[in-house]
Amino acid sequence: MRSRPHLLWLLVPFVLYIGALPFVNRVEPVIAGLPFLFVWLLGATVLTVVAAWLTWRGDRHHREAMAAAEQEYGQEHGPVDGAR
Amino acid sequence: MNAAVATSVFAVFMVATVALGLYAVRGRGGQGGLAEWSVGGRSLGAVFIWVLMAGESYTSFSYLGAAGWGYNYGAPVLYVVAYMSCGYAVGYVVGPMLWAYARKHDLVGITDMVAHRYDRRWLGAAVAILATVFLLPYIQLQITGMGVVVSTISYGTISLNWGYFIAFAVTTGFVVVSGLRGSAWVSVLKDVLVIGTLGFLAVYVPLHYFDGYGPFLDRLVAEKSDWLTLPGHGGDGEGGSGLGTAWFATTSVLNALTVVIFPTTVAGYLGARNADALRRNAIWLPAYNVLLFVPMLLGMAALFVVPGLVGADSNLALFRLVVDSLPAWAVGVIGVAAALSSVVPMAVFMLVIGTMWGRSVLSLVPSLRPGRRQKAASQLVVVVAGTLALIMTYAVPNTLVRLSLISYEGMAQLLPMVLLGLLWRRLSLTAAVSGLVVGVVLVCALVFTERDPVYGINAGLLALVVNLVVTLVVAYVRPARRSGEPGGDARPDAEVLASAAV
Repeated sequence: MRSRPHLLWLLVPFVLYIGALPFVNRVEPVIAGLPFLFVWLLGATVLTVVAAWLTWRGDRHHREAMAAAEQEYGQEHGPVDGAR
Repeated sequence: MNAAVATSVFAVFMVATVALGLYAVRGRGGQGGLAEWSVGGRSLGAVFIWVLMAGESYTSFSYLGAAGWGYNYGAPVLYVVAYMSCGYAVGYVVGPMLWAYARKHDLVGITDMVAHRYDRRWLGAAVAILATVFLLPYIQLQITGMGVVVSTISYGTISLNWGYFIAFAVTTGFVVVSGLRGSAWVSVLKDVLVIGTLGFLAVYVPLHYFDGYGPFLDRLVAEKSDWLTLPGHGGDGEGGSGLGTAWFATTSVLNALTVVIFPTTVAGYLGARNADALRRNAIWLPAYNVLLFVPMLLGMAALFVVPGLVGADSNLALFRLVVDSLPAWAVGVIGVAAALSSVVPMAVFMLVIGTMWGRSVLSLVPSLRPGRRQKAASQLVVVVAGTLALIMTYAVPNTLVRLSLISYEGMAQLLPMVLLGLLWRRLSLTAAVSGLVVGVVLVCALVFTERDPVYGINAGLLALVVNLVVTLVVAYVRPARRSGEPGGDARPDAEVLASAAV
């Protein structure tokens, strides 16, 4: 967790769907005919996709950084035994 | 005439479904054994896993129950969208962890993982039996749901009882021959039909009955505004549904945690070719939930068109609109989409029960242990479980309805034993079992005395908190014995625990 702070993005759906609930449980303002609660939950669904994507991107960078560090270490000290 | 057209369309698609299941496993029948049948040989790519997992979560509930909830209560049904989105986020971390653990130790399900973690075969068997009790009601729900669909789209010419039987026969036959791989293939067909039919209905119904979306939504806001927020219609006060914001929040949290260890979800995880396929899935699966808004809105549309549905009839809210407003062939196609929404999840549920028993329960009988026989035994269990669910559908429908109330909340009680156990070596067998027993007993007590939700809070979450406290206290008082001590587990941590690393 300490080395993967981007996992915090995964809290986004919990905040949007659950944390925000008391504030968004209302009909007004009606947006494009839809009551506000529905608009909010639709928006939360879209933002959840974005948040999960940001997490995944963070993990990809993390893996690349780990691989690069391992390679650098290997060049200086020779191959590391048992490092995957 | 109508009945003949709709039923023919339906029959053709059902035959095609079984054929597709057979085609999916062509040439793989003989080899592979249990792992090929139960987790697709751990070789499914990101796309197949997506359709499979979307397929599992999008059951006939979406056509029947979601519309029914929309009709009866309105907004509370959106908890499904909330818990699934949150659950996929949890699954982003947990899915790859379970996948790697199962692959490393050649395990095929959570009962197997528990048996390996605590080094007790009987624990795997006990968890398998417990999980089966919680899964059977789901199979029965799907049989009932599909039976209702079959009967409705045949315009009543096929009786409900025959509808149930057709549901059982198609699904059992399908899952025995095809396994997880076949289910993933049929999921593709199902997803195309589900997205197509719901997309069409979302446009057609408001146009047909209300002259478009604007007028429909305006009427909804003006006349049915108590359906549009929590706690929904009839939610307040004494004898209300109790589906307020506290219920919505606690249920979403509990289900989001439970869904990641739900045996059927885990079957999907373990089918993945690699861990990244699971992470990519966690990105896109929430998008599928947008579809759930459609049956809810259609259920509310039915309020204006067919008012006065009560009890189980409200589940037919959507189909009443369909039969009322569309030609027979279209009714048939929509019926197929709804039926496949039963077949795919039911197939995976049965598959999971078969796998759990084959691997964790029947394997205690020495003659059933070797590979090929284990698969045959698992397939036999599938037929037995399906038959049991069918018999109970006819004989004691209410028993299973009551059990289904505790399914999710009961399964949740496995969380400390499975997830905490895989991360924390100190968690002893005694601690895990104590927590589980206390949690399950508490859930049963609260649900069967009709105290769920209790003070507006999901009873399963309350039981889970008590379960967790008991587990932690017992783990502190009686920690797992270390390798040096008598009776201690000599295996190193890397053998026992799971790693959450990338």
